[in-house]
Amino acid sequence: MSGSIPFLLILIPSLPLAAAVITAVFGRSMLKENSHRPIIVALVGSFMASLLLLSQVHHRSASSEGVGWETTIDLWNWVRIDDALATPAAAQPVPEQGMAALPPALPFRIDVTLRADALTSIMLSMVTFVASLVAIYASGYMHGDRGYWRFFSYIGLFVFSMTMLVSVSNFVLLYVFWEAVGLCSYLLIGFWYEKPEAAAAGKKAFLVNRVGDFGFALALFFIWTTYGTLNFHDAEGIAGILGQTRLAQPEVYVGGGIATAICLLLMLGACGKSAQFPLHVWLPDAMEGPTPVSALIHAATMVTAGVYMVTRCTPLFMMSPTAQTVVALIGFTTACIGGVIAMTQTDLKRVLAYSTISQLGYMFLGLGVATLGGITAGMFHLFTHAFFKALLFLGAGSVMHSMGGVIDMRRFGGLRRLMPTTHWTFLFGCLALAGVIPFAGFWSKDAILAAVYERGHEEALFYWLYWGGVVIAFLTATYTFRAFFLTFYGDERVPHEAGHHAHESPPAMTFPLIVLAVCSLLVGAYFEFTHGFAEFIAHTPSLAYEAMHAHAGAHDSASHVLIGAIGTVVALAGIGVAAFLYLGDPTEVMALRRLLSPLYWLSHGKLFFDQIYDVLFVWPLRMLAQISYWIDRNVIDALVDLVGRIPLVLAAGLRSLQSGMVQFYALAMVWGIVVLIATLLIWPALGASWK
Amino acid sequence: MDEVALLQNYLVVGAFLFGIGLVGFFSRRNMIVIFLSAEMMLQGVSVSLVAWGRFHNNWGGQMLVIFILTVAACEAAIALAVVLTLFHKGGSLDIALWQQLREDNQPAYVDHEVPEGDDAEKRWPRLTPSGIEPEPDLEDLTHRAHV
Repeated sequence: MSGSIPFLLILIPSLPLAAAVITAVFGRSMLKENSHRPIIVALVGSFMASLLLLSQVHHRSASSEGVGWETTIDLWNWVRIDDALATPAAAQPVPEQGMAALPPALPFRIDVTLRADALTSIMLSMVTFVASLVAIYASGYMHGDRGYWRFFSYIGLFVFSMTMLVSVSNFVLLYVFWEAVGLCSYLLIGFWYEKPEAAAAGKKAFLVNRVGDFGFALALFFIWTTYGTLNFHDAEGIAGILGQTRLAQPEVYVGGGIATAICLLLMLGACGKSAQFPLHVWLPDAMEGPTPVSALIHAATMVTAGVYMVTRCTPLFMMSPTAQTVVALIGFTTACIGGVIAMTQTDLKRVLAYSTISQLGYMFLGLGVATLGGITAGMFHLFTHAFFKALLFLGAGSVMHSMGGVIDMRRFGGLRRLMPTTHWTFLFGCLALAGVIPFAGFWSKDAILAAVYERGHEEALFYWLYWGGVVIAFLTATYTFRAFFLTFYGDERVPHEAGHHAHESPPAMTFPLIVLAVCSLLVGAYFEFTHGFAEFIAHTPSLAYEAMHAHAGAHDSASHVLIGAIGTVVALAGIGVAAFLYLGDPTEVMALRRLLSPLYWLSHGKLFFDQIYDVLFVWPLRMLAQISYWIDRNVIDALVDLVGRIPLVLAAGLRSLQSGMVQFYALAMVWGIVVLIATLLIWPALGASWK
Repeated sequence: MDEVALLQNYLVVGAFLFGIGLVGFFSRRNMIVIFLSAEMMLQGVSVSLVAWGRFHNNWGGQMLVIFILTVAACEAAIALAVVLTLFHKGGSLDIALWQQLREDNQPAYVDHEVPEGDDAEKRWPRLTPSGIEPEPDLEDLTHRAHV
């Protein structure tokens, strides 16, 4: 079985790619209403392969020691430029390792190399699992859409890009697939491109991501000039950035200002992709896309790419405590913003979008703690969040489907009898999101808060962040159950758009809901009690970093139980408040709204980020564009026109010669010959006289 | 007659032929006549070629003339076909009908009509008749010959 890892690693991305190509080529003419079949088959196949890979990696990792376990497969060399960079100091191998001294100049090379390690295999399994369920769901949800084949082709392309993103072993390729998932996101947000809001949302997502990607690209330039390589792993005698050689000798990482710059720029990239403050504005608008897309890309998988990337680069972040604190603060700020805004949104999907932003903030808070416990907790939250957030979005999609496309919670209510399966599965998702024991969200959120609390022993800042996190957990429980009660409880109201549609969704849609609901209930507890997740993921080379283990304090189980208890109480309190406010009489809500009217106004206006960005960036850029347009029209075009007029003026005189009379042309010809001959006769005479 | 004088005579004849052709080409508007004028220029050139060929004792001139005749025959066929087509299209052999190649802003050439109406009133100077006054030819008085 040892030889199958390379095969599996290649198989996992190629299946969705092949299916995407098949669907793109044959979808329109031949597959039509069957376009989902190749994609579902490929995704399920990928998922099976990912599970096999996971079990093998698990098997290998368990017996590994030291700096974790990884394996890489070189596929081909994409770019190689010899002597591209004078060897920087940080690229020199450590003498004790017995590696030969590097030549004075290093080649720039991009190796297409796939890697398998704990982090990759977990991400692959999670992505392909959620993607398979979402594809099955979408076969019901998108049924009858004109772009049915196009949708599934994009989904296949997305899964290919995402699986490649988590399995490549090179920063440039990471960037390439980072952009590729961004492209798929753009295509899918703007899937209904005839709708102006959808087109605008796609554009906004793309442009906001561009800001983050710019930072990411700068970070890559910095890494290249600092370390002389962009590979994660050791290759051709050059120590990779996250390779075994370097990890065994943490002092060869560059610290100081350069490390901080690299990490902050990487974080800017992560902010764009993972919708963190201040680049979070695109995610709520991305809800214009079809709901399965929101579930797959904008909740479960693509937006976690930033978390993945920061986790992958942990050794770099370890060199810059400043950057780590910034990561934690950004995560905390985003969690706050998301939680506050989600409180008052009336659009069910938008509540979930802001909750996604908030939960991603939690993950970054965990990563910013910078202990092994914090980072594994962040990844754990990523993992459990994928299940219950996908579940919630798919549930919202199910509601939307039966309500005839209406998603405004003010227009429907009391749907629990109409849609029992959706109701129950949605409840599971809400409980997981709110962090109620024993649902998945409880364990992961608890792990993050515990890690933050433990770090608080060393730095008072994290102590405050912990209490802030608890407050956000309360907000989370409240807004989640606000949405739940508004949708499924109260008087039964159905918008007229629903027509005769108002019934439970077809089995293709409820089946994924049930599977995900079971996962939301079980995955957290399973991994918590087996301690499997943290231990397994700690075998990733990046996380098996020696300095991190020094950081990890003694596990304080007494305080851990206390933290869990606080978390549960807060979650139940949040649910209670939501029940008190939104079950039954709405007078309390009105009273509270009046009492907190400025806060309500801020929250309902989404803290006016869009307006602020409009004033700060969009309008000045528009004005600049207008000025440029004016200059282009009136200065540059005028110059070009002027040049164009010169021959016209010159030609005006010659035009009168073109009379169209045959005899005139003949006369002109004869005169021409006469002049030529005369010149020939006279010229030598003139020349002779000059000599 | 010496060779040079013979050459000169021939060349003079060729130049005359060429000149007559050239003037005809410029001044006539009937397409067939224009074509004939062009042929005449060709013959002028041919005569001088023959003369030079003889003068230099070189058959190249004569050969070229035979060649010119052949080409001229082909060319005549084509030219007459073109002229025929143009006649069918325009209803006239007048070359001035075909001015479409002029620039857009150039005025078309228009024939100035010869004024006719005033003829009757015009008093032409008359010589004092001498001898027996001839019978006035009525036909000649009422009808003006075509220009």
